[in-house]
Amino acid sequence: MAGVQVGKRIIGADAPVTVGWENIGKVEGGPVRQFVFTWFQPVMLFAAIAFWYYAPNWLAVASTAIAIRLGWTVLLLVLEWVNPRYQSWQLTWKEFATDVFYVALGMTFLRMIDAYIGDGAIIEAVQGAFDWEKFSWFTGLPLLVQAVIISMVFDFGQYWMHRGMHNWYPLWLTHAPHHYITQLNVQKGAVGNPIELFLIGLGIGGFFDFLPRAFLLAGAIGMTVSVYQHINVRFNTPAWWRFIFNTVEHHSVHHSQDYEATRSNYSGTWIIWDRMFGTCVDGEAEVLGMEGGRRMHIGETMIFPFREGWRDGKAWFARRFGGGKGGVMQPQLEPAE
Amino acid sequence: MSAAAGTLDAPRRAVTMLRLPLIDNIWRVRGEVPLDPAMSASEAFARIDPLLRTPGTDMTEEGGVLTYTKHNPAAQDKLATFTRGRMWVEQAGAGAVLRFDLFSHALLLCFLAPLLFLGFAQMANAINAWEASGAEAGAKAEKKDDKPKEAKKLHPIDQFLGAPAPEDPNKKKDEKKDKGRHSPTEGYVIAGIFAAIYLAGRWLEPFLLRRRLRAALAEPVTT
Repeated sequence: MAGVQVGKRIIGADAPVTVGWENIGKVEGGPVRQFVFTWFQPVMLFAAIAFWYYAPNWLAVASTAIAIRLGWTVLLLVLEWVNPRYQSWQLTWKEFATDVFYVALGMTFLRMIDAYIGDGAIIEAVQGAFDWEKFSWFTGLPLLVQAVIISMVFDFGQYWMHRGMHNWYPLWLTHAPHHYITQLNVQKGAVGNPIELFLIGLGIGGFFDFLPRAFLLAGAIGMTVSVYQHINVRFNTPAWWRFIFNTVEHHSVHHSQDYEATRSNYSGTWIIWDRMFGTCVDGEAEVLGMEGGRRMHIGETMIFPFREGWRDGKAWFARRFGGGKGGVMQPQLEPAE
Repeated sequence: MSAAAGTLDAPRRAVTMLRLPLIDNIWRVRGEVPLDPAMSASEAFARIDPLLRTPGTDMTEEGGVLTYTKHNPAAQDKLATFTRGRMWVEQAGAGAVLRFDLFSHALLLCFLAPLLFLGFAQMANAINAWEASGAEAGAKAEKKDDKPKEAKKLHPIDQFLGAPAPEDPNKKKDEKKDKGRHSPTEGYVIAGIFAAIYLAGRWLEPFLLRRRLRAALAEPVTT
């Protein structure tokens, strides 16, 4: 495969990747379908913002957000059914049950652990050590400005954590299982090793004192923008949207079987971080995964970082200090003196 | 049909001593699809061959019984739910049927999943109880911060646009009983969701399987 040059890189040399907005697929079908799948994303974003902006205090609480999130997920699953992006990404019963397992693990067991070691605990410790009152002027800013700052600061952290995962082997070991997914569906964002999910959830936005409503608004932006990273729905996404926000098109490039393509589009919500740091590739891909599209089952996903880390750590020690069993990397070892 | 293949009533078993007449319906799916009586077993197997010939699938045909095993099938594998199984042709009255007897790891694990999440819910309760017993001792030492907090104000733009003002932090909230930091509710709800997913899958997957087999058997073999 020849691939396409994007900046200094060749994208799509190992596996098919479509580069450039003019080449990606469009919504097919009658005027109603065209209308719905062109306007759905912006309308839902502004509806969510308007709701959290004007909801009375008794309604603007976390439990409302959870209820909305559940209904929203069901709606998006219906959209996947009605207007799939690729037949080869169609949700099956087994895939659905597997995805729900990962989401459920995050909502139960991992949340319990997170209460002790997650960013909440870290923030509590750091906030106790400094006088954060100095940052209280943030709460005087307009609500939407606060919300955008929260969302962007959090996403900035995610961008670098994610980029780090693709560039530093120990972090990559935790993130690799997520790249074994071979299709994108609404709940696929939760698929991965729990250590990675913990790392990617570490945010720095929580240090600052914002109004609770601003947090809910930031959550609404996340829910109606970054949720489309993993979705099997064909949209005619507006040009302004895909310039500033991440889309399934961007994220499918990131999940492609093409190695260079995976090293792009790291942000969760704000693709402008990628544009600023030179890692954005506009396009889309259908053929996803690792090792030629081998599916990784739940058991292997749970042990992968430890198993590979143990194997490679052993090999590294053997290479570094000589002697011992070199494991998989032994043939490359220098002969011992 | 060969005696080695067994029948639907007395199927050939991997572990002959183990007889689980009803409970194995949780993870086993048995049934049949009608077959053209003129069609030979080898012709029927040839027609369903493309359905089974997917990456990670081992197949053998012995004594008129087709046996297959799948190792971590791809997401879009049409038989991904049924990781191993046997199929054979049997005469039934005037016609013939293709019988199948399949095993599903996915159905079994999905059936067991509610137990795992009920376990997490119980774990949340246990940790809450344990932490509450520890907190009682520490509560007396806790300092009460009576300094009135400054009420936050909205930006004039937000006031003009009519956003509700933030709550006064000094307003006394209803003192709710401390329920602990972990909620068992999610565990209970998810256990229910998995029970529903299992029931849906136990009906849907055999339905889709029969449909796919019928479609494959109707399709002539192209060489």
